[in-house]
Amino acid sequence: MSKAKILRNQLAASDMLIAPGAYDAIGAKLIEQAGFPLVYMTGAGTSASLGYPDYGLLTMSEMVEKAGILARSVQVPVICDADTGYGNELNMIRTVREFESRGVAGIHIEDQVMPKRCGHLDNKEIEPLEKYVSKLRAAVDARQDPDFLIIARTDSRASLGFEEAIRRGNAALEAGADLIFIEAPQTMEEVQAIPRLINGPCLLNVVQGGKTPEINLKDAQSMGFKVSILPGILLRAAVNIFDQVLDSVKKEHTVPAFLNNATPHQNFRRFGADQWDELRRCYASESQSAVKENQ
Amino acid sequence: MTKSTTILRQLLAGSEPIRAPGVVDCIGARIVAKEGFEAIYMTGAGTTASRLGWPDVGLLTMTEMADNAQRIAEASGLPVVADADTGYGGPLNVQRTVRAYERAGVAALHIEDQCWPKRCGHLDGKTLIPVDVMVSHIRAACDARHDQDFVVIARTDAIAVEGFEAALERAKRYEEAGADVLFVEAPRDMTQLATIPKHLKKPSLFNMAASGKTPFLSVEEIKALGFKLILYPNFMMLAAIPAMHKVLQELKRTGSVKGLVNEVASFQDFFNLLGMDDVKALEEKYLTNEESRVRY
Repeated sequence: MSKAKILRNQLAASDMLIAPGAYDAIGAKLIEQAGFPLVYMTGAGTSASLGYPDYGLLTMSEMVEKAGILARSVQVPVICDADTGYGNELNMIRTVREFESRGVAGIHIEDQVMPKRCGHLDNKEIEPLEKYVSKLRAAVDARQDPDFLIIARTDSRASLGFEEAIRRGNAALEAGADLIFIEAPQTMEEVQAIPRLINGPCLLNVVQGGKTPEINLKDAQSMGFKVSILPGILLRAAVNIFDQVLDSVKKEHTVPAFLNNATPHQNFRRFGADQWDELRRCYASESQSAVKENQ
Repeated sequence: MTKSTTILRQLLAGSEPIRAPGVVDCIGARIVAKEGFEAIYMTGAGTTASRLGWPDVGLLTMTEMADNAQRIAEASGLPVVADADTGYGGPLNVQRTVRAYERAGVAALHIEDQCWPKRCGHLDGKTLIPVDVMVSHIRAACDARHDQDFVVIARTDAIAVEGFEAALERAKRYEEAGADVLFVEAPRDMTQLATIPKHLKKPSLFNMAASGKTPFLSVEEIKALGFKLILYPNFMMLAAIPAMHKVLQELKRTGSVKGLVNEVASFQDFFNLLGMDDVKALEEKYLTNEESRVRY
């Protein structure tokens, strides 16, 4: 069964899917090991992992390469940020094919003018609705696997208002989008209204310190959202802990004790050492007989 | 060893026009170097064709272009003039593009004033960004280079959209913004061609495209007009296409490749082109005696 099909089946079940955000294979594997059914590849995190802010500086090829790494690292489906689709209808077609060929289960595409900005920043420029709809139609037609999920994101709330954002969400559904992502609603009333006003499944973006008020995920589920993404949680956690550890080494000239609780091999087991050890045993040859067991 | 950017600057300061045949890959790069040309061009249309099999309508990403440029720079050892389309976004993207191309070992890039996604300069249906936006892209590009010899070429696609006068005016503005070489794309006749270099203080680029929109002139004729840098973007690739068809048709017709043996490069020539002698010299230098004995 394709990852896209697995995701479709998950969406058909009643519970809301919670997808923490990853920007590398470490994050993706930890998300899977923690028991989440879905991994989200964050564009902001991916930009940061390449040393850039989320200012639309990454190319589609860089995003696709990272997406492929995430998708091959976990068994659960991966959905990805695909920004604006990186151009017009033709670029959109190439974008869908590239992500799909990397084993990704779905992508979200937004109506910002390229180069885009993070959804929770100011001064976003929005494409005309007609243009956005034609790009979504191209995306829907471009997928080879009909289960590949096209997630339509609209950034129009900030400059065009909530009503326009809802209108765009419903227009995206009519164009064939599978899941609607209204970016950065500004009040709890707006958040609540989204699943009611959109005539199809909705995604909620949970951003810390952004334009949307804090929300409990149980409430999001009872409001009727089908997917919640938490793009920044692991990056934020990593930045905090990295700072702490570096600060400690610098000041104390010693590695913090809590980092010494696992052997190297115990760490490797989080990244598939058991499966690779099994393969080594399976293919061990006479001349290279003794399989070295790592401890 | 002199940097390729410095070599290109010296060539631009010389009296003879620079001829830069266009290539899409390392085979082409090796051939241009072997034939003794002084510079080489990486064509965006050709790179798109080679890597995607699609026409030049803005489908390749900056990273794909920079990757290809790096390979061509390495394989040719020549100063590379590389197509960088629009710079791939706003001024920040332009700066990232310049730095990526610089790291790739490119000596010059050209950025143009089309809207993204761009189209081949000799196709219809192009649209332009406002002149002040392009001026900011040129400034961003010039500021981004670490090597002051890196050459920023400003291209305007305005002739087809706004007319010749507007194109000249844009070129002038881009020159004032700091561009090192000016590239007025797709001039239509000798009058336009004669006007461009005279109108500008800095060197002008002549794009000897295959579309037929620009007259087919000789190096001497182009020199007499006052152009300093000549691109031949696609002729090598276009020459290869009928040759490849011929091989396949012959194979289908006769069921054998035997009849082609005298028409294609020999196995020996192919390895010579790719520097097999250099590889042998390295092997002599670094292989252990036992490795040499087993291998030869």
